[in-house]
Amino acid sequence: MTLLEVKNIKKIYSTRFGGNKVQALTNVSFSVEQGEYIAIMGESGSGKTTLLNIIASLDKPSSGEVVLSGKSIVTISEQQISAFRRDNLGFVFQDFNLLDNFSVEDNIYLPLVLAGKSYDEMNERILPITQQLGITDILAKFPYEVSGGQKQRTAVARALITKPQLVLADEPTGALDSHASDGLLRLFDEINAAGQTILLVTHSVKAASHAKRILFLRDGEVFHQLYRASQTQEQMYQKISDTLSVIATGGEHHG
Amino acid sequence: MGKGAFYPRLAVSNIRKNGKFYLPYLLTCIATVAMFYIMAFIASNPGLSQMQGANTITAMMGFGTVVIGIFAVIILFYTNSFLIKRRKKELGLYNILGMEKRHIAKAMFFETIYVTVISLIGGLLVGILFSKLVFMLLYRLLDFTVPLGFSISWQAVIMTLVLFCAIFILILLFNLFQIKLSKPIELLYGGNSGEREPKTKWPLVVIGILTLGGGYFLALYIKSPTVAIGMFFIAVILVIIGTYFLFTAGSIAWLKMLRRNKKYYYQPRHFSSVSGMLYRMKQNAAGLASICILCTMVLVMVSTTVCMYIGVEDALNMVYPRNVQIYLYECQDEAYPQLTGIVEEETAKYNLTAEDMVSFQYYQEEDDWNRSLFIGDKMAKALTGEIPGYKGQEYPSNAYIGFNLPGSDGAPPLLLDAIRNRLTTELAGQYDTYESETRGLMADSVYSLYGGFLFLGMFLGLLFLMATVLIIYYKQISEGYDDKQRFEIMQKVGMSRGETKSFVRSQILTVFFLPLVVAVVHIVFAFKIITKLLAMLNLTDISLFISCTGITILAFAIIYGLVYMLTARAYYRIVS
Ligand SMILES: Nc1ncnc2c1ncn2[C@@H]1O[C@H](COP(=O)(O)OP(=O)(O)O)[C@@H](O)[C@H]1O
Ligand SMILES: [Mg+2]
Repeated sequence: MTLLEVKNIKKIYSTRFGGNKVQALTNVSFSVEQGEYIAIMGESGSGKTTLLNIIASLDKPSSGEVVLSGKSIVTISEQQISAFRRDNLGFVFQDFNLLDNFSVEDNIYLPLVLAGKSYDEMNERILPITQQLGITDILAKFPYEVSGGQKQRTAVARALITKPQLVLADEPTGALDSHASDGLLRLFDEINAAGQTILLVTHSVKAASHAKRILFLRDGEVFHQLYRASQTQEQMYQKISDTLSVIATGGEHHG
Repeated sequence: MGKGAFYPRLAVSNIRKNGKFYLPYLLTCIATVAMFYIMAFIASNPGLSQMQGANTITAMMGFGTVVIGIFAVIILFYTNSFLIKRRKKELGLYNILGMEKRHIAKAMFFETIYVTVISLIGGLLVGILFSKLVFMLLYRLLDFTVPLGFSISWQAVIMTLVLFCAIFILILLFNLFQIKLSKPIELLYGGNSGEREPKTKWPLVVIGILTLGGGYFLALYIKSPTVAIGMFFIAVILVIIGTYFLFTAGSIAWLKMLRRNKKYYYQPRHFSSVSGMLYRMKQNAAGLASICILCTMVLVMVSTTVCMYIGVEDALNMVYPRNVQIYLYECQDEAYPQLTGIVEEETAKYNLTAEDMVSFQYYQEEDDWNRSLFIGDKMAKALTGEIPGYKGQEYPSNAYIGFNLPGSDGAPPLLLDAIRNRLTTELAGQYDTYESETRGLMADSVYSLYGGFLFLGMFLGLLFLMATVLIIYYKQISEGYDDKQRFEIMQKVGMSRGETKSFVRSQILTVFFLPLVVAVVHIVFAFKIITKLLAMLNLTDISLFISCTGITILAFAIIYGLVYMLTARAYYRIVS
């Protein structure tokens, strides 16, 4: 079943004084099936964050459509958009975006509290997730008291606790050391194996090599895509590197 | 462009870039300098020493100068600490980009020079321009004719220069010391370090409750006016201590209790505000307590001085039911009937007629601390005939005669001398002491006293109000920068714009109006003791005091509300 459809997305940033315009996305189209694990790769400045923000309904495209479970999110009204985001999407960001004044536990509860869920229900949901993520024993701590990897796991728990249809991750390993990165990526594999749809944006070959499908973004368009199928992660790693070097040398599109 | 000009230029661009923080700081500096100059100008004005009650007025203005001086030190240091905290990040960046600390110090030095020069020149100009206006206001309040001419007091200028140069040098040293102590990485994160979860300090909470309760208790249960003054100051100190402890430790204990109540805490409305306040309170509780104390001071000061000034006539009427009053203490009963005759005869010699003459005998209790209050009470009854021919219980009693002379609120001194001479010769040995007083003389000194109080009350009230406004502004603005990120995250996680707006509103409202509400509570508790103190000044019109206080609170709340709206707008612009 198709979960997400991105159709002809175009995004032009214009500076406040109407001066120069930046075309971040020219024409992006792709779709995501239920249960997929997709990585979008591209160099810095290729428009990955822009694309993710549009899918996350944090930003509006200049033209084009985003359809999640048959519903166009571009046309949702301002009042309903927060609730929609809360109910359907989970986020993991590069810089964690945890709130320092909340304990780890409260950070995880945040979207549920905003959704008006009762404490008992939240309390029921948190345990299985934190056990899976291995952060049960740091629940009472504050973000500044835990490691980067633990912070990112907290952010993942916060993304998962709403049981979202789609988890969006923007460079989730960007601020982590390689050990913590590996741990996090393994977790993503597990979560995906349990049926969670994940869309990951990254410029790290390692991170991308965990995905089942990889889209390459260049000049604001989907330039190429790779399927993992039955290949091992190492093989994928090699393939991605090759593709990137082709892109870097300005090779022609071969999809 | 020579290398030498680099630091001065860097300093200018630093000031410009930090305009949001520097502008209010500069305005504060200018206003403080101006107010100090004006007060020093008035205190050192030779015209003042030629008036009735000059000593009191000069002493009062001298006191005002000292208060403003001390206050200037506190408020400038406080605002500077905001400034330096916000700027640590920028300075850290310079440091990391290869600027050495001594270069930063150089830039800082030039910044201080600019600030000092701008503040002193601006402040003195404003001060000199307004000094005449303020002086005119003071003269009007004192009920004097305003002298012509415009003058600059060089003594005041020098005092201002010395004081503020010293303050700015101290601030520079403090800032340099801060930079010297800090490590670049700390400088870089200085803007938002120290945000740890605060601990509950129960002993402080208990002390806070006890001191505040003690202060309130004293204010409510002090019966005797004699001890009221001393107790009032003790109560004030207790309440100040209590306010500080309860704002700092008490608020945190309270918020943590709220957080422990899961049903309450995990609601969209409370979740963000409880933890947000908890996070805030650690750094801001002292500031809020200061605001609260300042508000209370302004309100008490302005309302009592206004009440005193308005109530002067009543107070005079109470002490002077007749314009000329003569007392004979321990006057024997046989002497009493002759008194009115003597007075009438003597006034007739001056071609005057004593009108509305009243006389009676009364007994004065030993421990009565204030003769005029006693007379006020009893005499009013004697005058209205409520106590016919009032006479005290014990021999010897005192005699009173009061009368008015047409077209005057006093009496010729020669007439009073003549009366006195006749009494000494004709009634020798029949009374102990003679005393006479006229309303006219008293009115002059009372007006200058209360006018001086009112002036000081308004002037300091204005200064404190400025400080309050400033502290709130800085607090909100710097919180805005901290909160910006928090609200961004919340919105990403699913908080709507509308919710954000209402969170912002409720948080600012709490921070803003908590001190004001507590200040009003303080005043309600202080009400009784203040009316007692006013009664000592013969101001017994409680309804007048209630309305003065009410109007002052209202006026204050309006100004406060305006500042709130301005600040909230600036804050919201930062956050969203
Ligand atoms: N808010 C914005 N205003 C103007 N230009 C922007 C804005 N955000 C991003 N851009 C520009 O859009 C392009 C894509 O940015 P981004 O999506 O952040 O790329 P990536 O995440 O792949 O590094 C860049 O050229 C960037 O400068
Ligand atoms: Mg990006």
